[in-house]
Amino acid sequence: MMLLRLISWPYARKHGFRWLLTIAGIVLGVAVFVGMHTANQSVLAAFQQTIDRIAGKAQLQVTAGEPGFDEGVLDKVRSLPEVSAAAPVIEATVSAGGTNLLILGVDMLGDRSLRTYDLENSEDGIDDPLVFLAQPDSLMVSKTLADRKGLTIGSRLPLDTMAGQEVFIVRGIMQPGGLAGAFGGDLAVMDIYAAEKMFGRGKRFDRVDLALKEGVSLDEGEEKLKASLGPGFQVEPPSSRGQQFEATSRVYAIASDITSLFALFIGMFIIYNTFAIAVTQRRAEIGILRALGATRAQIRTLFLAESALTGLAGTALGIVAGLALARAMAGYIGSLLQDVYGVAQGAGEITLDPKLALAAGAMGVLTSLVAAVIPARNAARVDPVKALQKGQYQSLSEGENRARRRWAIACVCASLVALGFGRIGVVLYAGFLLAVLAAVLLSPAVTLWLARAIRPVLAKVRPVEGTLAADSLIQAPRRTSGTVAALMLSLALVVSLGGLARASYDAIAEWMHVSLNLDLLVTPVENLTNRTFVLPESLGAGLRAIPGVADVQMVRGVRIQVNGSPVMLLAADHGALMRFSHQPLVAGHPARMLEQTLAGAGAIASENFVTLHGAKLGDSVEIPSPSGMLHMRIAGVVRDFTDQQGTLFISRDAYVRAWNDTGITSFGIFLKPGFSAPGVRQAILNAFSAKSRIFVMTNAEVRGYIDRLTNQWFGLTYVQIAVAVLVAILGIVNALTVSITDRRRELGVLQAVGGLRWQIRHTIWMEAAAIGVIGLALGLGLGAVQLYYSVQVTQRDIIGIDLGYAYPFGIAFGLLPVILGAAWLAALGPGEQAVRGSLVEALEYE
Amino acid sequence: MNKIAIILLAAAAGVAWGQDGHQIMLEVQKRQHTNSMRYEGTLYSCTSPKGCPANSKALVTKRWVYERIGDFGKSKGILRFTGPAEVKGVALLIVNHPDAASDQWLWRPAVGREQKVAVQDRSTRFFGTDFTFEDLEERDADQYTYTIDGEMNGQWKIDAKPKKASGYTHCYFYIDKTNYTFQRIECYNKKGLARTIDYTDFEMIQGIWTARSVGVIDTIRKTRTAMHYDKVDYNLPLKDEAFTVEALRIAE
Repeated sequence: MMLLRLISWPYARKHGFRWLLTIAGIVLGVAVFVGMHTANQSVLAAFQQTIDRIAGKAQLQVTAGEPGFDEGVLDKVRSLPEVSAAAPVIEATVSAGGTNLLILGVDMLGDRSLRTYDLENSEDGIDDPLVFLAQPDSLMVSKTLADRKGLTIGSRLPLDTMAGQEVFIVRGIMQPGGLAGAFGGDLAVMDIYAAEKMFGRGKRFDRVDLALKEGVSLDEGEEKLKASLGPGFQVEPPSSRGQQFEATSRVYAIASDITSLFALFIGMFIIYNTFAIAVTQRRAEIGILRALGATRAQIRTLFLAESALTGLAGTALGIVAGLALARAMAGYIGSLLQDVYGVAQGAGEITLDPKLALAAGAMGVLTSLVAAVIPARNAARVDPVKALQKGQYQSLSEGENRARRRWAIACVCASLVALGFGRIGVVLYAGFLLAVLAAVLLSPAVTLWLARAIRPVLAKVRPVEGTLAADSLIQAPRRTSGTVAALMLSLALVVSLGGLARASYDAIAEWMHVSLNLDLLVTPVENLTNRTFVLPESLGAGLRAIPGVADVQMVRGVRIQVNGSPVMLLAADHGALMRFSHQPLVAGHPARMLEQTLAGAGAIASENFVTLHGAKLGDSVEIPSPSGMLHMRIAGVVRDFTDQQGTLFISRDAYVRAWNDTGITSFGIFLKPGFSAPGVRQAILNAFSAKSRIFVMTNAEVRGYIDRLTNQWFGLTYVQIAVAVLVAILGIVNALTVSITDRRRELGVLQAVGGLRWQIRHTIWMEAAAIGVIGLALGLGLGAVQLYYSVQVTQRDIIGIDLGYAYPFGIAFGLLPVILGAAWLAALGPGEQAVRGSLVEALEYE
Repeated sequence: MNKIAIILLAAAAGVAWGQDGHQIMLEVQKRQHTNSMRYEGTLYSCTSPKGCPANSKALVTKRWVYERIGDFGKSKGILRFTGPAEVKGVALLIVNHPDAASDQWLWRPAVGREQKVAVQDRSTRFFGTDFTFEDLEERDADQYTYTIDGEMNGQWKIDAKPKKASGYTHCYFYIDKTNYTFQRIECYNKKGLARTIDYTDFEMIQGIWTARSVGVIDTIRKTRTAMHYDKVDYNLPLKDEAFTVEALRIAE
């Protein structure tokens, strides 16, 4: 403690700005980690809270994927002696006056066995239960919603239904809390039979909630229900819906984890750099301490304690910044989850999870400690005699360089060997890590070499300033290499993310070209991922009768559980299956694949389905349906981007037989030659929009929608890129600040002998530009390697699709002005600092 | 027992000496026996625990027609609402079984669906009244065990415990000793007194003592339902086919 107070504190005060920059590295990493996780947790907690509040006293829920099941299942459940109460539910989200409203369709007679509506004892609770039940336009709303929209008993609320917009009457108001608090209070309850009609569900329920008789355990109840209903039904506690939601949005969670971890990783380099510089700067100080009797352990502990305190301060600020970030991101995440996964759930209250705070604290401090281990060890090894001699402490010894090179070559070799065994996950990740480590180890030597290489160029541009700037870098490789390494890692991340994004865009464009070659798409919703509403099969005949329509293809999309994981099932008629079978083929024979699928014996699997489920062509896949388990052979594998969790294409006939569901989620329309899409669209709207809720999109609109969705998804990538660039700028500012401080006397002498202020400024700017260019060169090189591994990891563990390797040259070229601009911006402050200080003080420095 | 049926079948005859609870209840049932019945009723339900002054929003009025056919424990009944307009046509079919809970179907014309009322739902209040669906069930006298708990004001106080599954643990029946009519019923559940039913305005109709007014109090919610019966007829030529789910859909 005494050493910290006497030695570390004065140094930190003297170099306050640099310490702030160091802390900023941790702040950024922790803020991104805390922000993204808090925002995620907030959405998940709100979803879980909605589930809990809606579940009421229900102990188990019977489901069969999104299509639900026939009403008859309810009687089957109720007839079991283990069941004390069972109530059917339809749950859907609709838009009401710009806000999402959760509609809960319940059996108003029996539902109170499971849920408490908390309105009977209130005077304004419900108007008349019999009228409520008798009239299908009855709605019971939460007090929160009523207050927000100014609704009272008898108010009229227009809502979207399958028959277009219909007016509902508020006949009950639920008191706040309990069920009424679900979905942030944006909840309305209606009769389940009215809900079936409203959402076009036919005579189907989404699920059955149930309570067991006293003395019947959950396991026992679950087992009996599964045995009675068959393998096509899932019988699970309500809380498992939260797990399903987490499983569905798995890719998003992985992406946000990668962003925050990378931010911390780069932050670690900034800390390493700062401490490495601090050790070299404080060699004399360390020498005196050692001469006075301080042990090596004490010196090591001193630096580690400084680092821990830095980490702690950075973590504290990072948590505060993270909470602010979470507030800013919550809305984006909510809409991303709704648009990409079709799960409408806004974020709840943003609160810091103590476990997350602990994890962030541990990560921040640990990252800081890990970063300081090598500098602390170096500090402890300082020879007191040599330390007290003035010398080139920023230079790297040839021995040190040689050792680094040897280690780097070993890492490269090991990484190359690992490539041969890349199918094994651990080996692939180890290879990735070794490749990055090799780049980091080689960065000082390559930096020195590149600095020497660009010296003539800089000298040609500005003979005096250019030479001074290059020499500054050459003479202090220790100071420069840390910054260059951080910049290299940041830019490599930008290249690999940019490359992945580019490859994804290209692959999606190719996929759209084949599978979305239709002229018009008719759907019951404007959002293609929302499957709340379902169109009747009979609409197909009506569409075929519209002049100009050559062909109508029907598709029913539902999310189901296969092997316990959420999967998209697309049940397509003959024409639509033909279209889907023309998607880029990964495995199988096109004709046989189509033949087997049309016969109902096989399914076409998407590439990500087979990768994520460890399946291959010819394997049998078990698809649970209300009529039992369907055993289908994987007849072919295609590259498809419909769903991140994988897609199975089956024949619509097989689906209708197994699910007894004739609903349609989209009609693909192909036009006869000579007919225009806008004209036929208008004809369709004229014919059906008054009777049914339909949206007609042209091909360009569908593509535009998918493009928007892709852009929205890659919004997260842009955050990652922004973090990487920000860290890079921080690194440059840090290095330049150190450089100015180190060269204060040198710069003072320059001014004293007639050097002009603008010359000093230009020297600093050129030094920054040189760091930028060197970092860019290394970053673009490492980016090429990192992109390879990113493509492998993305295929293997994230989306299951081989996006192919394509170096993003456009992004690489684009980075040059960005980094040079960032370097110039980063150099502005230090440049001014260099010219504005007192000349006398500068000459007296050291 | 179906409290509504009990009310309407309440009759009195002679004086009984030395009877036990079961014998008294058999006598009540015997005196109330009819092949069929029909009445039109008006229901006033006060949904506010603070009471309902005239013109209060919490005072709900409804009219219905009730028809019943068959013997005690095996009877069938249809209750069809006739007003106000929003509820007109809503009907409930009750098919009683001597040894099991009754089957009940609800018909809602505006929704166009009939719906079976599950056994679990029998303790649910009957459309905002202070009755439950179970109260609409008719139970044979043999489906209770009886103990005479005392005599007061010319009435027997009989403790009746249901043999079949019920939302009530037991009820006290107050039976007039002169005409064997129900005067009051107090029903208890696990939490205590749940419901009281008072029968008033007795009138002899076609040889059967019939209560014209009934007051029901939900003692937990502290709400009250009052019913008045008009045009009560017994032993009408009603047909069995009129008491089916199909008939429920058709006859509005």
